[in-house]
Amino acid sequence: MKKTDRNQSAPDLNTEFDVGEEFESDVEAALTEEIEHGSRYDFPELLKVSSGPHIKSPISTSSIMLDVVIALIPAYAWGVLVFGMRALVLGVISVASCVLFEYLFQKITGRANTVRDLSAVVTGMLLAMNLTVGTPYWLPVFGAFFAIVVVKGLFGGIGKNIVNPALAARAFLFIAWPNEMKVFTDAGVKFGVFSSPGADITASATPLTVLSAGDVPQNSIFDLFIGNVGGCIGEVSALFLIIGGVYLLVRRVISWQTPVAYIAVVALAGLIFPRIPGDGVQSMLTEVLSGGVIFCAIFMATDYATTPVAPWGKVIFGVGCGVITVLIRYFGAYAEGASFSILIMNLLVWYIDKLTLPKPFGGGADVKK
Amino acid sequence: MKLTFKGGIHPGEHKNTAKCPIKLYTNPEKVSIPLSQHIGAPCEPLVKKGDEVYAGQKIGDVPEGALGAPVHASVSGKVEKIEVLPDLRGNQIKHVVIANDYKNTVDPSIAPFPKKLSEATPEEIIGVVREAGIVGMGGAGFPAHAKIASAIGKATTVIVNCCECEPFLTCNYRLMIERPTEIVNGAKIVMRALGNARVIVAIEDNKPLAIKKMEALAEKNPSFSVVALKTKYPQGDERRLIYALTGKELPRGKLPADLGCVIFNAETLSAIYNAFAKGLPSIYRTVTVDGNCVASPSNVLVPIGASVGDVVEFCGGLSFLPDKLINGGPMMGNAMWSADLPVTKTTSGILIFSEEFTEMREESNCIRCGRCIKACPSGLAPCYMVASIKIKNYEEAEKFNVMNCVECGSCAFGCPAAIPLVQYFKLAKSEIKNKARAKK
Repeated sequence: MKKTDRNQSAPDLNTEFDVGEEFESDVEAALTEEIEHGSRYDFPELLKVSSGPHIKSPISTSSIMLDVVIALIPAYAWGVLVFGMRALVLGVISVASCVLFEYLFQKITGRANTVRDLSAVVTGMLLAMNLTVGTPYWLPVFGAFFAIVVVKGLFGGIGKNIVNPALAARAFLFIAWPNEMKVFTDAGVKFGVFSSPGADITASATPLTVLSAGDVPQNSIFDLFIGNVGGCIGEVSALFLIIGGVYLLVRRVISWQTPVAYIAVVALAGLIFPRIPGDGVQSMLTEVLSGGVIFCAIFMATDYATTPVAPWGKVIFGVGCGVITVLIRYFGAYAEGASFSILIMNLLVWYIDKLTLPKPFGGGADVKK
Repeated sequence: MKLTFKGGIHPGEHKNTAKCPIKLYTNPEKVSIPLSQHIGAPCEPLVKKGDEVYAGQKIGDVPEGALGAPVHASVSGKVEKIEVLPDLRGNQIKHVVIANDYKNTVDPSIAPFPKKLSEATPEEIIGVVREAGIVGMGGAGFPAHAKIASAIGKATTVIVNCCECEPFLTCNYRLMIERPTEIVNGAKIVMRALGNARVIVAIEDNKPLAIKKMEALAEKNPSFSVVALKTKYPQGDERRLIYALTGKELPRGKLPADLGCVIFNAETLSAIYNAFAKGLPSIYRTVTVDGNCVASPSNVLVPIGASVGDVVEFCGGLSFLPDKLINGGPMMGNAMWSADLPVTKTTSGILIFSEEFTEMREESNCIRCGRCIKACPSGLAPCYMVASIKIKNYEEAEKFNVMNCVECGSCAFGCPAAIPLVQYFKLAKSEIKNKARAKK
């Protein structure tokens, strides 16, 4: 609202020069006052009212999700490097279908569009990283539908889902298409964009399937660490996953409790009950560095919606994941176990939260009486 | 290890006016003095339309025996009218409107306390503080005399709250730099009323110059100590302050005196000193005027009752179109709907922001990130409380101790989903209080 009451200035000049009503000096006077006094605005009649706080940190759901995407990129890039361009195409299909299903679901159910929060992009990347390079191109589309529509959308959208969408989708694909999902290939055997899974891709054993069969895996610990082994696209390189994890820790997107507790339990079990006879350390490192423990500990067990909110709850969650992973690996029919352990722990989050929410400062409601 | 508390946040400090000396603003055209600027019963007017009043003359007082503090004319002039207007929180309050005669004739009855401090009794000190109408100037507005009276025999520690943890505000800081002796002398007066107490001056460590000044004064007084606290919001909250200094947690419903402490804001102590040494009632206060819309941000000593618009005009007016006007700090301050509202005894800041600063993002789903739990200085679980409140399950919210919430806004500040948590908690607290009242 600009001040308009400037009528007093220069009344006599008008008659002298006869320049009509819109004499320039009126504008000039206003300008001079603006420059000299700076007071160019009045208060509007009514101002905006709201509850405090009136300032806000710039952090938003989409900025957090963007950080997760950034943290996933190194491990994904490594996956593309060792498994070939086919791995990248699978990722693009997975992300695109997640985003599309999110958009369609919200359009059809008449909900606010949340594609911009980037959470569907994260789900798509996580899903693709959980697949092997030999997966047919149509498979992630079904996975994306299950993750976004069944697991997330039907439960109320972002933050409301009970289990991790990407992991639930992986479990679903595993049960629905076991043959397509179990094709693990060796690292360094690259697959082009148009390679067809049945003909070109031959299955090979992963360190865990070897261990599970009672043999000793031949991979060196160094290969396991940098990711020069067979496995899912995104889970093989501990090094690049840890780089992503450190980035998330520095950005304070995740906290250290769950990954540390999870990995520590798996490591301890490997050390105390080695499956490689007589070599606890070798056994420990093999257990930790293979089968997606690092990937799940950093990126899946720290998913906000499906894990506890309080620090001690995060520790309990991590320990629980570790114990279940070890039990599945040692006694289950399935060689891995990381993803199922998290899905099981997801179901217990409400109870863990109930146990571990912080104590109110000065005591709770009953203190007053 | 720096002394501090659990939780809290560190918003940008924005202490832009830290180097702005306090300017005196004496001549508003008129003042509109609310008759309730404190916790307790509102005052009844002692003047009527047409009366000539002196600056410093008592114009309103609470009924005998009720909790409250009198109010005084801040300028001399003629009572134009007594009108009922909504205050900042929307309560209908009587305001005494005085047209300034620009003579500043001071009430002739104003005189220093006749005795030396060492000869004053606690009752006399309480009387002086009460008659001067001094209330907690940090924002709460609890009558200072009642605070002293309730602390006698209980409190052995006087905490001088110089934290000023709210961003933007620097009026307490300037007071410590420019008139530190008033704060120290005010604390001595309170000490005298309490018997022998020690004094802790608590300052956040982002104000090294103030710490230096206060330390230099404290050196001469063995019962004084200056403590630097970690700069973190809300360090100035009384429960957090007591915890940082003593390690004790003050439960809800208890007073600091129950833990042997009594807390005064720096400016309140300066007002107590001025009442005792000069007889001045509480008719002026320092206000930080800042925000991106203010042409020249300043610290101003403002007569109580001057309109916010007048004070802003004194600070060079507005340089951008304002969208939000805040009374107090940006975290806990109240948004004002109009610049015609007066400055009161509890107005520590006038902040004016344009739209790009106050734009609110649309609220989205809680993603359970747990930032609110980490930030909550009261050890609560804001995300769980809000989930109950959204489905109107206030009993559940009460079980999560929503009544312990001090509305500091630390949770809402960092919420990535932009949920207006404090607003939900205010709603739940008033619903729960109303229900409890209905039961009685």
